[in-house]
Amino acid sequence: MRRLIEVWRSTVFQKWVMAVTGVMLGGFLLAHLAGNLLIFVGANDMNAYAVELRELLHGSAIWVLRAALVIGLVLHVRAGIVLAQRNRKASGGRYAVTSYQRSTPASRTMLLSGLLILSYVAYHLAHFTFGAVHAEYYHYFDAMGRHDVYRMVVESFRQPVITILYVVAIIVTGFHLQHAIASAFQTIGINHPRYSPVIRMSGTLLSILIVIGFISVPMAIIFGFVQ
Amino acid sequence: MNLRLHIWRQKEPGAQGMLKTYDVADVSEHMSFLEMLDVLNERLLENGEDPVAFEHDCREGICGTCGIVINGRPHGPVPKTTVCQLHMRSFHDGDSITIEPWRASAFPVVKDLVVDRSAFDRIVQKGGFVSVNTGNAPDGNAIPVPKVNADLAMDAASCIGCGACVAACPNASAMLFTAAKIGHLHSLPQGQTEKGARVYNMVLAMDDEGFGACTNHLECEAACPKGISALFIAKMNAEFVINSLL
Repeated sequence: MRRLIEVWRSTVFQKWVMAVTGVMLGGFLLAHLAGNLLIFVGANDMNAYAVELRELLHGSAIWVLRAALVIGLVLHVRAGIVLAQRNRKASGGRYAVTSYQRSTPASRTMLLSGLLILSYVAYHLAHFTFGAVHAEYYHYFDAMGRHDVYRMVVESFRQPVITILYVVAIIVTGFHLQHAIASAFQTIGINHPRYSPVIRMSGTLLSILIVIGFISVPMAIIFGFVQ
Repeated sequence: MNLRLHIWRQKEPGAQGMLKTYDVADVSEHMSFLEMLDVLNERLLENGEDPVAFEHDCREGICGTCGIVINGRPHGPVPKTTVCQLHMRSFHDGDSITIEPWRASAFPVVKDLVVDRSAFDRIVQKGGFVSVNTGNAPDGNAIPVPKVNADLAMDAASCIGCGACVAACPNASAMLFTAAKIGHLHSLPQGQTEKGARVYNMVLAMDDEGFGACTNHLECEAACPKGISALFIAKMNAEFVINSLL
């Protein structure tokens, strides 16, 4: 038992926690993106998807997924804060002159970008999941009596404030992912002179694709492709 | 060439230090950086001032004793070069150069540019060895070692323990050092028996010394005068979890 506690507290294990929960959250992001893109298929499919998601396995699936996500999120944020505090203490007073060679603006601001994403997620859930903010868009129902997710999204993104906040949050997320994806591979021990440059490039490419995918929805609404 | 140096001066551990400016004239481009500091110190001594304390030993780039941060880079601007092998031809007449000690809580400043790196020794004492009586040197190829593994072991073993990785890391993490010491022994058959205990004890010792955690900036790799790859950190990460939990 003492050994397990020691392992859990070690920096290397907390990095693993960071990487594994990060991959979980990234997987959720991809699934979320797939759901969002249904808006291009049509209102019926999107609203049907929303109902199915809530009723899958008699409504238990969504709670299992939500529990996993919340646990993953808590562990990810906790590891991030604990390690950042440790690092701040370890580095002490730093240099009068700094000259970075390999680190990137993304790698040096992971805590900041992460906390920005976290605060946006809270607002985003309050908006689209709980209807606690912008409630005027939440109570739409389609012809079949289903919650009209499609109309909620379309009407919401016609509001400039909502769209601007969303676009900024997605870009910050892309920035976070740009370092995160390659970093997760390194942390769990995947590093090879031949493949690591490919992994780093693919990570950046995937981050860009995720940003484009998410932003395409409000853009299509603003420019009238989706009515 | 004439240079203006901004050098960290600190009387003793825990004392308040500050950057002090010195002008050094007629520096030969053939001097090493340390020789240039020697010239400055001669002059300071002549004037009855306290010379700048810095560490050095072999001045051949193999012992790992020297190490200072020059304009924000450990060991200065030339890749894969220790500061004793850095020559003044890498600088220009009229340059302003800021010289600071390694900065990390685990490496407290002793005086001026000298830091206490005994934290590294304590990490090595926890497993950077093979505890069997080896007797005389074995015959060559008596124990078959694949060429790939021999090369890996040599790459890791080229670590001179200078601490540039810690100095370069924005988190002051010692993972490249610890991973190189572990990776060196784990690449060879002799290192296999104590593998689990070694990685476990050395990682915990590294944490206990108060070094930061790795966030994969890879600044260490760029600063390492021996060009040791962060590949060893990845290997250590995997081995730590496999050997500690299974």
